[in-house]
Amino acid sequence: MDISSLIDSLHPLEIKVLSTFGATPSAVIQTEQLAQSSGLEPSQLSMAVEWLLAKSLLAVDTETVTPIVSLTKIGELYFEKYSPIERVLSAARDAAKTGKRLTIQDIQAREGLEPAEVSGAIGRLKKEGALLIIQGGCIESTGRPSQTAEAMRGLLQQLHGASRELQAFPEAQRQVIQDHAVKRGNAREPFRIDDRVARALKLSVDGVEAAQQLSKQGISEEVSQLTPELLKDGSWRTKRFRKYTISLRAPRIAPGKRHPYREFLDTVKTKLVSMGFQEMRGSLVETEFWNMDALFMPQFHPARDIHDVYFVKEPTHASSIAEPFLSRVTQAHQDGGETGSTGWSYPFDAERARRLVLRSQGTAVSAHTLAAHPAVPGKYFSIARCFRYDQVDATHATDFFQVEGIVLGEDINFRTLLGLLNLFAREVAQAKEVKFLPAYFPFTEPSVELHVRHPKLGWMELGGAGLFRQEVTLPLGVTVPVIAWGLGLDRMAMVALGIHDIRELFTDNLDLIRSTRGAF
Amino acid sequence: MPTITIFKQDLEGLLAGPGEVRQPITMEQLEESLMLVKGELKEQNPDTGELRIELQDSNRPDLWCCEGIARQLRVKRQGALARYDFLTTTSKSPKRLNVTPGLEKVRPYVAACAATGYRVTQDGLTQLIQTQEKLAEMFGRKRRTVSIGLYRLAAIEFPVTYDLVKPDEVTFTPLGMDTVMTLGEMLLIHPKGLEFGGILADQDRLPFLRDAKHQALSFPPIINSREVGEVRVGDDALFVEVTGTDLSMVVLTLNIFAANIADRGAVIEPIEVRYPYKTALGMGVITPQDLKRSRKLPVSTIEQALGQALGAYEVAKALTAYGYEVITKDKNVTVTLPFYRQDLMHAMDVVEDVAISRGYGDFLPVMPSQFTVGGLSRIETVSDRVRALMVGMGFQEIISNILGSPKDLRDAMRLEGTEWGQLVEVDNVMSQNFSALRQWMLPSLLRVEAASNRAFYPHRMFEAGEVARPDPTQPLGSRSVTVLGGVIAHVDAHFSEIHSCLDTLFYYVNQAYSLEPIQHPSFLAGRVGSIVSGGKQVGVIGELHPEVLERWQISVPAVAFEIDLTELAERS
Repeated sequence: MDISSLIDSLHPLEIKVLSTFGATPSAVIQTEQLAQSSGLEPSQLSMAVEWLLAKSLLAVDTETVTPIVSLTKIGELYFEKYSPIERVLSAARDAAKTGKRLTIQDIQAREGLEPAEVSGAIGRLKKEGALLIIQGGCIESTGRPSQTAEAMRGLLQQLHGASRELQAFPEAQRQVIQDHAVKRGNAREPFRIDDRVARALKLSVDGVEAAQQLSKQGISEEVSQLTPELLKDGSWRTKRFRKYTISLRAPRIAPGKRHPYREFLDTVKTKLVSMGFQEMRGSLVETEFWNMDALFMPQFHPARDIHDVYFVKEPTHASSIAEPFLSRVTQAHQDGGETGSTGWSYPFDAERARRLVLRSQGTAVSAHTLAAHPAVPGKYFSIARCFRYDQVDATHATDFFQVEGIVLGEDINFRTLLGLLNLFAREVAQAKEVKFLPAYFPFTEPSVELHVRHPKLGWMELGGAGLFRQEVTLPLGVTVPVIAWGLGLDRMAMVALGIHDIRELFTDNLDLIRSTRGAF
Repeated sequence: MPTITIFKQDLEGLLAGPGEVRQPITMEQLEESLMLVKGELKEQNPDTGELRIELQDSNRPDLWCCEGIARQLRVKRQGALARYDFLTTTSKSPKRLNVTPGLEKVRPYVAACAATGYRVTQDGLTQLIQTQEKLAEMFGRKRRTVSIGLYRLAAIEFPVTYDLVKPDEVTFTPLGMDTVMTLGEMLLIHPKGLEFGGILADQDRLPFLRDAKHQALSFPPIINSREVGEVRVGDDALFVEVTGTDLSMVVLTLNIFAANIADRGAVIEPIEVRYPYKTALGMGVITPQDLKRSRKLPVSTIEQALGQALGAYEVAKALTAYGYEVITKDKNVTVTLPFYRQDLMHAMDVVEDVAISRGYGDFLPVMPSQFTVGGLSRIETVSDRVRALMVGMGFQEIISNILGSPKDLRDAMRLEGTEWGQLVEVDNVMSQNFSALRQWMLPSLLRVEAASNRAFYPHRMFEAGEVARPDPTQPLGSRSVTVLGGVIAHVDAHFSEIHSCLDTLFYYVNQAYSLEPIQHPSFLAGRVGSIVSGGKQVGVIGELHPEVLERWQISVPAVAFEIDLTELAERS
């Protein structure tokens, strides 16, 4: 890297340091002095110096090591509450005055000291002749002074909240400090000795060149941020803007965003509206009447079992079912009524019809629409949450969306049904190839299953449809033919979202939701 | 929708018919053929030839077996149903089955036939047993309306009696046991007695089938005798009986069995059932019997429904090739179902069979041509609007289950015993995790927050969706309402932060609102307000109570609001 591009990449702190050498590029400057003349904080300076050393723009001329003494936490504690040696000696002297026998255990208990602290203090006091250990583990003051105990108080006072060079203390005190300094294997000491390294720094050959170039450029002040002040007074013209390393990864942000599955459903919704469908809404809680009876599912139908539908606990039944629908549907089930059907030939239970369930199929919403004077011609859809009594696993959800609807019109017949399904295949699944298979639904006849060749998934079932049975439409007051259709889009959604488990459509993992792209 | 197991070689044999040369069919041919029976191939084992097929049509029990599928394909290939001699035989059968008075109140109907000349093979036996089980389970409503028994004919001496006995009056050794026991004991300890005994609950006398020597055949609909009621490979004479509560279903079920065994080469010998009481078919009923369900309808009805001018000839041809008997007169057809079907309820049922027989591929799709205007509901439009605003304010959208647990929806929100804690709960709970509809949105959002402490902060989340609120004044006992919930969670989350969002939202939906201090257990006292707009409470805003956060194990403060979009949508 040549010098000028090296200069371009310098951090403002580095430039400050280089500029401090300024006019006297050959000078040797102590770090302390450098801190003063550059005006940098010690931490900033040490960062800048390390960087410049690493770039070989700066070199160490000499290095002096000064031992510095300071108090440890223990030391500060001893300053406040006296050190064990002081406390042991004082206890011994008090005992001597009163003539009491003093055991080592007494001192430990009374002073609340660690055994190691007590035995250390006694050992030293005995060595210095200030204590005697007599029979029975008792200690006795000799009345002589202890060098350590005397020195200790002075040292703790001098060093409380400050640090000093070791060499500043007289020899005797230095000895006490060194004896009671934190060492490997003995952390419980009042003093700490640290080496302060003082460097004398000078510019390297490259450094001299860089400093000269910087001073030649004259615009030595580099800024990292354009500010309103710089713009206002025009001084940006004389500033240099530090160049960024733009190849670094950008910091991550979390944008406000639609849920990827909802985004998918929104797309489907928009498609359906664009094809002329009007949206319908319904209730999460339904009666068996609208959920099943009105759809000509006989009350003994296996899918009405307690193991297929969720029943509501309280209240168990709706207050009533609207007429004339209840009577007409009852007739349709029992003997066909006016529908041209034989019916299912069983006694219809009107009580059962009022039983409340969680909506198990979106077709319940369509049934309500049929009974509410729908437009003819008319197209309707709903994206309805439905509930099934299913063990939850990777392919079964207990709570899911059904996309379904109806088409009413004089021109509705089996072939227009197939035409509509063709349209869905093309518009919703982008499929060019379709297959129509005979199917069975309790409420449609004829019934069709729509299979499409999806561009990514290959052949798949896209939905089911049929012409509503007249046992469904006539009791609800609709006399024109009606297509009922439903699309199974969860598999397409899962592919679009890149997931393999249907439970992940409703995941509680915010990271996953944030990071899913959700292409459609 | 039963799923059955059949074997490819067995199907090929049945397609050819007894004594004919078996033609192998390819999987493509099979899949194509399955359209005729609304079947879907679920699994196959090329080594054993085993095929798992789901039959969709719950009104076509005749198709729930290999024989039935083969028959439907054969009819199509041959253009018409072959004759079944036993339906037209005029010689009176010497075999009889007598019904005891009193059964009309217990299990009134029985149908039976004998089959000889077919030596039972392993494949055949597998199908017989599977058909027996599927028909009794799904068509017979778990044996309640129909159940079936198969026996070794050689061991039976006619006439057979369909008897009514006291629980301790007779004894025999049931299948699956090796000791003699009374019918009452069977109900108490036999697995089938425990499973199906409920059908005979409250009866002080029980159905019992025996032969002329008073030998036990079975205890319908519970269990057969081990001696005569266990058909084995190699048997070449069978007795089949069906009992139940619906005469036409009983006869239909026997017809299906008779057809199936006949298709395997047996000669069916009808049996006359003599009732001591009146039935819809009289007091002496010969079974199997062709009930000849027929219907007259204009060809134009079929043409209109299909959207295709076919003409009477094509209609008749298609239906005949699907097993019907068709008489064309003027512009009408009179169609009669084959004896193994009874599913003709409406003209449209005939229409579908025409379409299936011709193949759906035969019909050219046409677009519905009538113009309609599409659009979204008012609530969806409002919901979309506020969703866009929330996204603009930096919120991530969430979608959650509406079914949750009372523990999360109520207890963890400190709402036990409060009006806010009332739930629409499920009666038949499968899992506590899915046992109540959410009554508000915030628990859904806290569920995500609780699981996402590793996702970088701040967290801003919202969900617009449905909740269910109990309301005794409503016909359904509850109201489904669309609400919007928003949550902000991070170390410095503050009331004013969420308040700004709410304020912005109301500005853009052009509604005035005010906050009124309230007490709400889910929020910190003094930092919660009711959102009042148009003189109505339309939501709540506040800082979540530390105990709520603790119960969800959320480790940062969270502020939230929830507003009733249904109320706002109805207003403007």
